[in-house]
Amino acid sequence: MARTILIVGGTGDLGLALAQAMYAAGDTLILQGIGDLSTAQAFAARCPGTHVLACDLTDEAAVAAFIEQVKAIGMPDHLVHLPALPVVNAKFKNFDEERFERDFAVQVRSALRICKAFVPVMAKAKYGRVLFVLTSYIMGVPPKNVTAYVTSKGALEAMARSLAIEYAANGVTVNCVAPSMIETGFLADTSSLIVEAAAKANPMGRNATVADVVPAMCFLLSEEARYITGATLPITGGSQM
Amino acid sequence: MTAEQVLKELEEIFRDNFDDDDIVLTRETTADDIEDWDSLEQINLLTTIGKKYGIKFSIDDVSSLANVGDMVDLVLRLKA
Repeated sequence: MARTILIVGGTGDLGLALAQAMYAAGDTLILQGIGDLSTAQAFAARCPGTHVLACDLTDEAAVAAFIEQVKAIGMPDHLVHLPALPVVNAKFKNFDEERFERDFAVQVRSALRICKAFVPVMAKAKYGRVLFVLTSYIMGVPPKNVTAYVTSKGALEAMARSLAIEYAANGVTVNCVAPSMIETGFLADTSSLIVEAAAKANPMGRNATVADVVPAMCFLLSEEARYITGATLPITGGSQM
Repeated sequence: MTAEQVLKELEEIFRDNFDDDDIVLTRETTADDIEDWDSLEQINLLTTIGKKYGIKFSIDDVSSLANVGDMVDLVLRLKA
């Protein structure tokens, strides 16, 4: 059966890799992004039914317009939400409230509004798959100096669990993946020392790649995962359990 | 750039990083002398120092520097 798959934050390395893995002929794929969308547009040119929509998720009016654009294309039965601003490594005394508000808008407020627009429709259709991308930082003891990032991701997990229980009887599953550091363009502003140290500290001796994470995401979005909801799946190479 | 200059500049970086204006660095200062100076703080320090001097540390430097004197010498070597 043809699916309508919305990937918010779908034009970065992880989102595009997921899009490639999920796409099947006949599907409608909607990829939201901001900034350089050329790679996503090239993908869309190769995959009929793919739409690339630019939207600044910090802008409430833009998010409202984006939701209307998506509705005009088709109501999603699969929704993946993974956008975030790059992680800032800063002590709490230097907590940047203005930046936190922007990141919270990207990660949490946009997720709330997009879910509110589409999840009740999935429930009426008695089918839906919702997936959030969190971080292994929210499991166990978090690292120091990432309060802003962890706060937003923690809020997302709480939201996912709440939606999971509210819609469990309606054929809608809501799950999360919690990967450890993934080596993608998302780390462009992260100190190479932090990236290398994370790899060295990982029990598998390396950081995750999109190829490690995407198959687990596809599974949680699949028909076979119908009895899994409210779960957060660690994808960490053993660094968090 | 002299070792004394670098030591003084590192002292400012340490004071800001650990939010402690009482920190006084000598070449013999080690992680045992400063509360909270763990491996993560070492990475933060080296990242800040790297940005200040336009140099790049390796991951091995995180664990191989025995004291502040080693840090000063490495900065001078990488800047040379």
